[in-house]
Amino acid sequence: MLTTRSAYLFLAPSLALYLLFVGLPILQIFGFSFFDWDNGIAGDFIGLANYGRLLADGVFWTALWHNAIWVVLTLAFPLLAGLVLAAILAERNASVVRWLGAIYFIPRTIPLVVAGIIWGWIYNPIFGLLNFALEAVGLGGLAGAWLAQDNTALLSLNVVGAWTFFGFCVIIYLAAIQSIDPSLYEAASIDGASWWRKFRDLTVPLLRGSTLFLGLYAAIEAMRFFDLVWVTTQGGPGYSTEVLTTHIYKSFFLVGDFGYAATLSVVLLIIVLSISAGAFALLRKS
Amino acid sequence: MTLSTRRSLPVLLAAGITAGVSIQTATAQTVVTQWDQFAMAGITAAGPAMDELIGTCEPDLGGATVLRTIAPSIGIRDSYRLAVSANKTPDLAYTWPAASVLAGYARVGALAPLDDYYEQYGWEGINDFYRGRNSFDGAIYGVPMEQDLMGVYYNPTLFEENGIAVPTTYAEFQAAVEAFKEKGITPIAFGNRDRWPATNTLSLLLGLTAGKDGEEAVLFGDASWTNDQFKLAAETFQSWAKNGYFPKGFNGIGYDEANALFLSGRAAMTITGTWVLQDMARGASFDLGVFMLPPIADGVPPGTMWGEGSQWQVSANASQEVKDATAAYINCLISPESRKVWVEKGYLVPIGTTPEELKQWDTLPIVKSFFTQGLATSDANFYDLHTTLPESVTQVLYPELQRLIGGDVTPDDFLSAMDAAWETAIDNGERWVP
Amino acid sequence: MTKSTRLVQNLILLVFALYALVPVYLVFLAAIRSEADLFSGPLTLSWPINFNNFGRIWSEAGFATFFMNSVITAVSVTILVVLTAPLAGFAFAKMNFRGKEALFGLFLAGLVVPAPSVIVALYGNLQALGLIDNRIGVILPQAALLMPFSVFMMRTVMQDVPDELIEAAVMDGAGLFKIFLTIVVPVVKPGLMSLGLITFLFAWQEYLLPLVVFQTESLKPLTVGAASLQGRYGVDYGGIAAAGLIAFAPLVVLFLAMQRSFVRGLTAGAVK
Repeated sequence: MLTTRSAYLFLAPSLALYLLFVGLPILQIFGFSFFDWDNGIAGDFIGLANYGRLLADGVFWTALWHNAIWVVLTLAFPLLAGLVLAAILAERNASVVRWLGAIYFIPRTIPLVVAGIIWGWIYNPIFGLLNFALEAVGLGGLAGAWLAQDNTALLSLNVVGAWTFFGFCVIIYLAAIQSIDPSLYEAASIDGASWWRKFRDLTVPLLRGSTLFLGLYAAIEAMRFFDLVWVTTQGGPGYSTEVLTTHIYKSFFLVGDFGYAATLSVVLLIIVLSISAGAFALLRKS
Repeated sequence: MTLSTRRSLPVLLAAGITAGVSIQTATAQTVVTQWDQFAMAGITAAGPAMDELIGTCEPDLGGATVLRTIAPSIGIRDSYRLAVSANKTPDLAYTWPAASVLAGYARVGALAPLDDYYEQYGWEGINDFYRGRNSFDGAIYGVPMEQDLMGVYYNPTLFEENGIAVPTTYAEFQAAVEAFKEKGITPIAFGNRDRWPATNTLSLLLGLTAGKDGEEAVLFGDASWTNDQFKLAAETFQSWAKNGYFPKGFNGIGYDEANALFLSGRAAMTITGTWVLQDMARGASFDLGVFMLPPIADGVPPGTMWGEGSQWQVSANASQEVKDATAAYINCLISPESRKVWVEKGYLVPIGTTPEELKQWDTLPIVKSFFTQGLATSDANFYDLHTTLPESVTQVLYPELQRLIGGDVTPDDFLSAMDAAWETAIDNGERWVP
Repeated sequence: MTKSTRLVQNLILLVFALYALVPVYLVFLAAIRSEADLFSGPLTLSWPINFNNFGRIWSEAGFATFFMNSVITAVSVTILVVLTAPLAGFAFAKMNFRGKEALFGLFLAGLVVPAPSVIVALYGNLQALGLIDNRIGVILPQAALLMPFSVFMMRTVMQDVPDELIEAAVMDGAGLFKIFLTIVVPVVKPGLMSLGLITFLFAWQEYLLPLVVFQTESLKPLTVGAASLQGRYGVDYGGIAAAGLIAFAPLVVLFLAMQRSFVRGLTAGAVK
């Protein structure tokens, strides 16, 4: 390890970019939130009034609730799916792994905006594939307006989010599994354990680190995703898919209330940093 | 990566950056930037007319050329707002809405006052009402050109085949809907995924239950949203949704999809406006018809929603020369000769077009029919919520209306929510009053 | 394992493969249909297959320009990140200096910053710098937003460089930067490749920043162009599908060609 002052020179380019275009705006939004804005022009100093407004803002709490649901859904479905798929793939031959791994990851390469358009079509009440398929197998009664009913909209969107995420989980878990000592599994087989038992008692515990990493990643993404909702439902119908980022966007771009948008941004940032700090503390303990 | 490639990369990057920057400066000297919504399809698809008129009117710019950005109707509203906050507005923009939103831009000094040009060119075709809608604090900031009406497009073939007559009263309208429902035909094509179509429908219903006077009492006076007439409108809209007037899952169907449903003959009617005439005419597999929705409440005169579409506005940051050139250009665009082009090539009937002119000019029967019917009730015609409400109220109306017609909220709660947002906007000084 | 277990497993693998691919297949189908097919069922194929939509979207709808813009932005961001992040990663991995922990923590904090939060203030800054409606106004912030992940990944990669290699060079009296270029870079070349690929992927997919910063149509990238088609082209699903394909096909091809490199990059840091 070198001890050197020229380390700062090595850091300078990245740090400068980062501080100028990320760090500075973050500091600024704290400042913005204390003022009253009109159409993008700053007005009077109003102290904590925006924060008071936020606490009373039903849409904010609804949005926060939706973000929370999204976290839970993402942990329950794509994460778990990724784990199971990786465990299965780990025992298959290399080219199967390569191909299936690639297939599972392809949705991740599609920009969320395009994914939203595609799935919007799948969910379309009149000529979407989902209703078409349900009717074809005689389950036409289940057909609905998936993105248009407030009891199915958020869930339907989450299926799209999961679609882009599970492949990433497969890749991460696969890499982790490959570093597990195979003799552990051999010993368990000799003891007569079924595949499922080995998965539950060996694989899952041994992959705790990856699970924590993916869980944290999923939670952070669930708090700050935007593109998918915006290109499909824009927070609708009603408020049923409103999340914190769409609320920020609307306040900022559609109403021009920069002060309130900044306030929402500050709160979102604090939430996200708290989650990360908590997770890091957990990671350090393990 | 070899060392030699690493060295040339910064050079390439610098070259790319310089090229990008220099393109910006070269065009700034000889160009008038224009933003408009006149695409070739979709809402306000008067693209062919605009193209022709740029050719005709550009010479009036005295040597400058027009650098044009076409943005879809909803998008241009948001883009313009962003541009105002960045203090980087185009020299000339044809955007919407007027009234409180335009006033908001004027309030922060983003727009150039146009009173001198009104005097210089004598734009009398623009009456006091329209001037008022485009004014703030005693000065005029916009040149309105377009007028929009709402009506019920219908499929005469479907009506005939099923022995249903064009309704002249609201009761007949309801009967017609029920008849279509029985035959398994979607009565009214409607899709509110984009959130704004329902606002138009509500505008129409409000006028036919509260009338122009009832609306003015709330919008420009002290009355509250939670009045009986508004409640009737909300109840009507909600009952239409509940009683199967619309396709299933309408809150998830897009505006264009709903229109496609109607145009392909799968729905009997659709309730929308003149802004989409071109698409309707092009896409219909049958001869289009239109009728005005009859009044719903007793004592309300026949009328329809009459909005002033978009207006031309000029940036306060443009130089005096650019402003003068732009005014001359606008004068050309709204001249009687140009109006003919707008009507014939753009399916757009500008403000000031007389009924005689409309009869004589060469345009589709549906265009003539729509405007003749709609303008016949000009004294009773009422307001477009989109162009009258302040932005903050519109952003509350969108989700609340989705919930109302989705059956998730009662008309009383809907109106209370709207009234709350309305009061807040008034307190913030956002309301526009004539 | 038992036959039934294996059967169940294969079923699971298959179901998820369908889940992943069916929407992609649907886009292909839609892209070769015409507007008239709108109501004739989502899986019907019009015959003969026509590729008109691609031609239309490419030339008439201006997607050729959008494509170029995506390329220019993604390449520029990638170059910028690959030129700067490895340096920082090396410093964090191999050097000791005052404030090392704090500075690294600062970068880590950036991993979780939501883009809309940043843009609220960034927009005004860009306007003050005259960078609205300017490529630089998108390239620099995008690189900055990708910096935490890149620095984190580079640090992990650099940690694998054997200390002895560096110490030997130091003892030979070589300057630190020279050591970095001649000794470290060759060793971490695969890692740099992965960084480049992943940065390119993320930069290409960016939507909010270009949406907000670019006003002029001819500057917009594929993501913004594809989303705006929904307003302009209505129910021209064939066109929109073709646009979507143009928007993501390059990424899929790139990923399939360089799969190993991508995977290495994504797992660096997650597994450690």
